Amino acid sequence: MASNDQASDVATYAASVRTALADLPPDQAEVLLEDLEDHLREVAAEAGGPLAERLGPPEQYAQELRAAYGATHAGGTRQDPALRDFKLAVRSVTASAWFGQVRAFLPELRPAWWVLRAYVVVLLLLEAFSPSYNLRPIPNPFSSRGLLEIIAAAIAIVVSIRLGRQRRPLAKRGRLIAIGANVAIALIALPVFARMGTFPSIAMMESGVAGQSQPLILPNGDALTNIYPYSRDGKPLTDVLLYDQEGRPLTTSPNVGDVTTEYPLGADGQPITNAYPLRQRHLNGDPVSAPRVALPPWPAASPTASPTLSPSPSPTH
Amino acid sequence: MNQAEVDTTQLLKGVLDLAVLAVLAEADSYGYDVVRRLRENGLDHVGDASVYGTLRRLYQAGALNSYVVPSDEGPHRKYYGLNNRGRKALDQSAQTWVSLSKALNHLLNGRSNGHGK
Repeated sequence: MASNDQASDVATYAASVRTALADLPPDQAEVLLEDLEDHLREVAAEAGGPLAERLGPPEQYAQELRAAYGATHAGGTRQDPALRDFKLAVRSVTASAWFGQVRAFLPELRPAWWVLRAYVVVLLLLEAFSPSYNLRPIPNPFSSRGLLEIIAAAIAIVVSIRLGRQRRPLAKRGRLIAIGANVAIALIALPVFARMGTFPSIAMMESGVAGQSQPLILPNGDALTNIYPYSRDGKPLTDVLLYDQEGRPLTTSPNVGDVTTEYPLGADGQPITNAYPLRQRHLNGDPVSAPRVALPPWPAASPTASPTLSPSPSPTH
Repeated sequence: MNQAEVDTTQLLKGVLDLAVLAVLAEADSYGYDVVRRLRENGLDHVGDASVYGTLRRLYQAGALNSYVVPSDEGPHRKYYGLNNRGRKALDQSAQTWVSLSKALNHLLNGRSNGHGK
């Protein structure tokens, strides 16, 4: 049988099968019949004769196909196995007893949530408008900033409670938006709260005046008295000027313990207090020596700045 | 179809899933090849349409993966293979089959010896 005849035989047969299954919902039919032509082609190539001889009439084929597939399927598109397993897992949790108990208890927490979400929103706004602001759980009422925080929080709490107590049920879309907003606040709250507790232990310098009384404290409780900068090549640097994130000169309180410090005097006669490392002496006059440091291993990706001489071809022979 | 073929078809309906899964467990296959291998293993009267319908149903249920193998000479072929879900289904069905067939063999023991009524 010439392949052209074969192709048209396949096409005709397939069309008859599809017609016989035209009563199926389209997405089911699509899944069932996806490979139909491919299969028929394979059979035709092997059989050598007309398909109806080999497979029986197309209507019978269609019936057999339908029966084997079981057209009682709900939904035509293949459900991703992972998604189905996930859904089953979710269902097993929500059906469990303890989940029911938790669910019954949650409404009692609603008023607390109203207060909490107002607080979080205020924190978020602060964070958005002044990111470097030192977030403290309870604002300082004696600073104008802190007072503003407290007032804003109080207003927000009142608004939040009023919103929460509204008896009027929202339309479906409104409910979705409300739920979405609450979830969003809850999610964003986590990193905001995380940030609050982890400020570096270097005390905030409210004023830029040198030699102020609050010493900088290292995490282990020692006072920071000096800073030793090194370059990437491991060379100790001198006269490095350091500033904090607000551009204020970073000064230690070096006259702690048994060291005295000589600050270099600037051309304006003012001591330069943020040039590191500081020149320091012990009380007995001995200079404070640099500590031993463990330099980290820089990644070998880029060659260091020091030029290496590559062997050049010998100039004379 | 003669009577024997009809009977086979009826019995086969229940276990065709298992047979198809077993064939695919040995090796991934395209539709026509699955039919051929089933017949090679003694299931002479299994219909092409039954196998194809079963393949699509198993795929739809998430027990099979499918992929297309491009070919230079012939048409591209769509291969089916078992995924984890399919393997689990095969194991469970196989266990069920073993215990069922034990029970049935036991019931039929008297019969095939010619001592039945």
